[in-house]
Amino acid sequence: MRFNSLAFRLFATSAAWTLLVLPLAGYLIYSLYRDDVQLSFDAQLKKLLTALAIDSMNTTGDAPVPPQNLYEPLFEVTNSGWYWQVRPIDGAPGRTLVSPSLASAILPSPYAKKFPTDNTGTRWMNVPGPTGETIRILEVIDTPGHEPDKTKYSVIVAGPLNWLEATVAKFRNRLTTALSLFGLGLMAVTLFQVRFGLLPLRRIEKGLTSIRSGEASKLEGQLPAEIEPLQNELNALIQSNNEIVDRARTQVGNLAHALKTPLAVITNEAREDKSPFAVKVAEQAQIMRDQVGHYLDRARMAASAGAIGRVTPFEATADPLVRALERINRDKGIAIYLQVAAGAKFQGEKQDLEEMLGNLLDNACKWGRKRVQLKAVIVAPDGKVRAKRLVVTVEDDGPGLSAEQRAKIGKRGMRLDETKPGSGLGLSIVSDLATSYRGSMSLDASPLGGLLVRLELPAV
Amino acid sequence: MRALVVEDDKDLNRQLVTALGDAGYAVDTAHDGEEGYFLGDTEPYDVVILDIGLPKMDGISILEQWRRSERKMPVIILTARDRWSDKVTGMDAGADDYLAKPFHMEELLARVRAQVRRASGHAKAEIECGPLRLDTKSARVTCEGQQIKLTSHEFRLLAYLMHHNGRVVSRTELVEHLYDQDFDRDSNTIEVFIGRLRKKIPVDVIQTVRGLGYRMSQGADEV
Repeated sequence: MRFNSLAFRLFATSAAWTLLVLPLAGYLIYSLYRDDVQLSFDAQLKKLLTALAIDSMNTTGDAPVPPQNLYEPLFEVTNSGWYWQVRPIDGAPGRTLVSPSLASAILPSPYAKKFPTDNTGTRWMNVPGPTGETIRILEVIDTPGHEPDKTKYSVIVAGPLNWLEATVAKFRNRLTTALSLFGLGLMAVTLFQVRFGLLPLRRIEKGLTSIRSGEASKLEGQLPAEIEPLQNELNALIQSNNEIVDRARTQVGNLAHALKTPLAVITNEAREDKSPFAVKVAEQAQIMRDQVGHYLDRARMAASAGAIGRVTPFEATADPLVRALERINRDKGIAIYLQVAAGAKFQGEKQDLEEMLGNLLDNACKWGRKRVQLKAVIVAPDGKVRAKRLVVTVEDDGPGLSAEQRAKIGKRGMRLDETKPGSGLGLSIVSDLATSYRGSMSLDASPLGGLLVRLELPAV
Repeated sequence: MRALVVEDDKDLNRQLVTALGDAGYAVDTAHDGEEGYFLGDTEPYDVVILDIGLPKMDGISILEQWRRSERKMPVIILTARDRWSDKVTGMDAGADDYLAKPFHMEELLARVRAQVRRASGHAKAEIECGPLRLDTKSARVTCEGQQIKLTSHEFRLLAYLMHHNGRVVSRTELVEHLYDQDFDRDSNTIEVFIGRLRKKIPVDVIQTVRGLGYRMSQGADEV
């Protein structure tokens, strides 16, 4: 998932919300539960305290009596954390009663430590118990028989706080586990939702790819209502793009036709005459002729540069060209050998491929002696080049070019504005066309003896 | 040699007629497709210059129809449409060569010569016939190195015979191939010209085959 993508945005907002809400909810539940457990713990201690106070103080004598039943077996177990104690306050003489669990220890009195009472006259205090664990102490001050003038006793019940904490901690762990799982589940659902929801966009992406590669001429399929207008607009745009290209081609063709016949007339007329004026006219007409050719080629090229998604089968394009060139050069008895990888397709306009091949083959036939060779292979994408390439080579057995000549022509072919029309080889337009398809043209010596021209073009 | 020019641009048409005429061809001309088609279908031309963009009937259709009815004369397409797809269309329709406008007249004439030569089975620009040598490029005839002065009619007659040396050429064929359609076709004029030619070149070079026509003797191609 890319950082700047709809899927990421949707997923990130949803994830952020989940990450924020789940811990908050967890904390809330945890607090409520902890308070609840605390309250019930306190309530139980309070109940025990009340029972102890009633049992030990309901006496007619001056001393408290041991409680009969305290409903808590852990009072009997030594150091269980559950204790009770009845003891006179302020160091007054009197009987001290303790639970068996307390053994010989004495619990500190919140009264002695000046803890305030709550509204029921009870004091609460958390202190380390006899074994070192924290215990919660409740205390009321009472007198035997509840008579105010008798000796005041501190009645204490204590329970282990770590039990409370253990319970709460256990709950917290379970809650954390449950909420984490829930959170992960939510993320998974969100992920699915995002993918599923954005599936039509994927389809658009695929559709556009196949349009660019020429497999489809428009965006196909039933898309959701929200993006249907987009689909319609895109299709209209593609159609108008194709129309513009075709129209431009037609206009350029018409312009060519309209200009070239008068130019031919002027040229021929002027060459008949040997006056300085006619010579000048002939010279200028020649320049015009070159310029017209040069810029018409480039106008056609510019028109096709904007075209979307055209695919040209290589062999079906090369075959008629080879046939035509063999016919044109039949007196010379030159043979053109064609060797094309099965199913090779050029990603681009048929006319442009024809221009490139036509010019190269024409040159090769012009310079070659008996043999011209046209090869086309498909090169699979590798580390350097991402897309499939169509590599075309045209070679002849003619005199060829020297390395310096090749370098000179290669350099001139590199840049459009320096490429003067009428180079004589027609290579500049080939190079420009190849470049316009983000391809390249290079020259080399052929093993046949002549020139080898190598084109790298986009393939399908 | 008879040539047909089918070109709708009046100026270019006139230039082509003049240039071909100067080069020794008997030229017929048409300014639209229908006329051009009719001429090519009925008259025996040795070469046709055909434009593609023509009124009434386009050049490709004309060419296809000619070829369908077995008209096999060499056709050179002359057009402003210089894309390779246009060239392929033209060649597939049965053209023998293709020349894009604007062009140099010398280039056109060279191609016309090449087509005429090829149609009559000669590979080289020079045709030899015994002591005679015809340079198709310069339209000159020499006899043992000496240039022979010929009128345009005499030249056409001799050139046609030399192009078709080794076979008998009938008087009718000569008439059909030497004069444009407006010429008064009287086969007696052929005999007059043969007579004049025999005075300028060795007499036995042009042999009369009684009842059939004429034949060039000692053609280089026969040896």
